[in-house]
Amino acid sequence: MKRVCGILALSLASSLALAAPGVALKDENILSKPAATSAAVGKMSKGMPVDIVAKQGGWLQVKAGGKQGWVRLLSVRAGSGGAGGNGLAGVAGVAGAVTQKSDPSRVVAVAGVRGLNEEDLKGAKFNAEELAKLEGYAVSASQAKAFADKSGLKAAKIKALPKPGATAAEGDSL
Amino acid sequence: MKKALSILAIAFGMHAASSAAFDLGKILQLPEENRQQKTEQAAQQPSSQAAGLSPLMLLGKTSVEDEVRIGRQVAGDLLGAAPLVKDAALQRYVNTVGRWVASQSNRKDLNWHFGVIESEDINAFAAPGGYIFLTKGLYKRLNNEAELAGVLAHEIAHVSKKHHLDLLKKSAMIGTLAQSVSREVKSGDQAVQNLIGNGAEMLARGLDKEAEFEADRIGAVFAARAGYDPWGLPTVLQDMATLNTKDNRLALLYKTHPTAADRLARLGEAVGNRFDSLPTGKEFPDRFYRIK
Repeated sequence: MKRVCGILALSLASSLALAAPGVALKDENILSKPAATSAAVGKMSKGMPVDIVAKQGGWLQVKAGGKQGWVRLLSVRAGSGGAGGNGLAGVAGVAGAVTQKSDPSRVVAVAGVRGLNEEDLKGAKFNAEELAKLEGYAVSASQAKAFADKSGLKAAKIKALPKPGATAAEGDSL
Repeated sequence: MKKALSILAIAFGMHAASSAAFDLGKILQLPEENRQQKTEQAAQQPSSQAAGLSPLMLLGKTSVEDEVRIGRQVAGDLLGAAPLVKDAALQRYVNTVGRWVASQSNRKDLNWHFGVIESEDINAFAAPGGYIFLTKGLYKRLNNEAELAGVLAHEIAHVSKKHHLDLLKKSAMIGTLAQSVSREVKSGDQAVQNLIGNGAEMLARGLDKEAEFEADRIGAVFAARAGYDPWGLPTVLQDMATLNTKDNRLALLYKTHPTAADRLARLGEAVGNRFDSLPTGKEFPDRFYRIK
């Protein structure tokens, strides 16, 4: 909670937003609890601006159209504006604001930073030394299994997700 | 034309050193059956004898050995553009998490490699054969191991589905066709030699959108199969959605990927209520390795 407050404070300082902004990606009921079986307290419609208040597992607590409740994490996109963030909320994060640690580097202005661009990649020269280093860091399947066992990570059988709009047979097979 | 050739150069990168010249026009004239046969022969060649990649390898079924050679070339080229972050503990950690997730894929027998590269860009890359990279800029935005697993799982999915290998094959075919028509270059060797070192260009061109949506679907499932919280990848996408799309650090990512908002919407359509009954996955925010 303390971390959340820290980030919200940054957000306040930069954008005067009270909650992190988001946009509804689809029509969906707003539920009283983060569970599909809970009662609907309202509705959000695609394109509606929402305020993201909290995150819990696959659910976001939002305020939309005067109602507050829970919607699925993938039914809202964080950030405001058009296709992407507006750069204001982006600095402090949104789902970020409620889920992420405070990292001072996140609020540094980045407009002047030059990234890894197409030209860099086109002009790249094979670096055998770095490749050898990379291969030196390799971890075997059994080492990874030991790491997982030690920390209680258990492999689970989970079905592949279907491609939206496809029949079951056309879905991803992996 | 030049682009298509440069892609071919990846395949021939190691081949160019040998004296064997090849004629792309001739490849085209091979009857289908003959071509397939030759490809299989090439694939069966023991590594000690295979001085270079078979010129035909991209035209039919590619052996795992050849796939790995292509991947090594692309990986070495990418590392030429951005070296590894000098932090052995970080690199080992990412390899451990990545290897565990890859063990849940259909290609658990590959020798997987994972690296964090020195760049403030926000991006991640996959090359054929199991070479996976993410930038320091992306790593620093992650908050727990489930998010790392989600990002790596998306890239592992590209390798599982051989998305980049298929792209190379298509490019090779197009390049071959263009070659036979234009006859600009008489001997493949010289042209290829001039273009060695451009393996990473494939990563700048990107895949089609459907391949990215597919990797999101498969990646979320791979991470969940490894015991992680399945919402790691979606949470990283939410974080990206908050950034200005014109942020320089996202320039290459958005040149090669659909927007974060589109990816969230598409993943949401696929997930629906399907993750509701999953066991609670792990996030490990405390042991997550932080870059100093």
